[in-house]
Amino acid sequence: MSKTATYHTTVTWKGEHWGHLQMGNGPEMDFSAPPDAQGHADVFTPEDAFVAAANTCVMLMFIWATKRFKLKLLAYDCRTEGTKLIELDRTEIFKCLKFHPVIRVSAAGEPHAIVKARVRKALLAAQKYSLVANSLKSEIVVEPEITVVD
Amino acid sequence: MSEYLETTVDKFIFRIATDRLYSAEGIWILPVEPKQDGLVKVGLSDYLQQRSGDVAFVHPKPPGTQLSPGDVFAEMETIKTTLDLVLPLAGEVVEVNSALESTPEVINQDPYGQGWVAVIKAEDFERNRSKLLEAALYFSLMQKQAEEELNAS
Repeated sequence: MSKTATYHTTVTWKGEHWGHLQMGNGPEMDFSAPPDAQGHADVFTPEDAFVAAANTCVMLMFIWATKRFKLKLLAYDCRTEGTKLIELDRTEIFKCLKFHPVIRVSAAGEPHAIVKARVRKALLAAQKYSLVANSLKSEIVVEPEITVVD
Repeated sequence: MSEYLETTVDKFIFRIATDRLYSAEGIWILPVEPKQDGLVKVGLSDYLQQRSGDVAFVHPKPPGTQLSPGDVFAEMETIKTTLDLVLPLAGEVVEVNSALESTPEVINQDPYGQGWVAVIKAEDFERNRSKLLEAALYFSLMQKQAEEELNAS
């Protein structure tokens, strides 16, 4: 099994603060900076892309983990907030990514406390094994809301 | 109290407890004190548990199961893979670690202590122990395995 893989995107400047993005897996779209950074509203931005990369990757890894931990997942929604810090030297960094996953699983006949403990393990595994989360310098905080239903 | 041989491969640190024997596949075998009746505890080496990933479930064969060398004594499901744990000697399963049912991650956290998997009544252990690897030999083998894994493209 190969130990490495390469993913690519291509950007093309369209003038002013506009660009066009072609992604290796197919989709393409225009992008800009956020409005508060001389960009435009209602378009793809690098800031959203960064937070989305982490959010989507952790979600997909969690889905994988629920299967490995034999959990019957019913619902997963996650709002993730990335906090930008402007440093003393005017460089900027995403200091923290805070995940708020709302998770609903079926007890499937098991005690709720045991299922909830396994969900927490699956969440920890999702963070640990997420390609994107592993590639970040930002602090990662996960504040889950877990409901087990009969 | 175990002492350890330790090595660093890339960013990973691997420890081998020196007070026990090993199979080439990374299963450790430790005679249960006092050394009578051929009772041995078995578990995973630090290298084997690290490269397997976080443990989700362990399914040891139940007490009373008779095993030959090369038989599976437990099936382990991790976050990334499922693997068969192979016993390098013949014997009968006497006890399984009940903690693995609720906290299988103890194999990752304490592979040489609380993460033991089973107690086996080994057949002719003193005669067959020469087929197992002393800690220093397994350590060299493990280093080679880790470096080969790292350098594999």
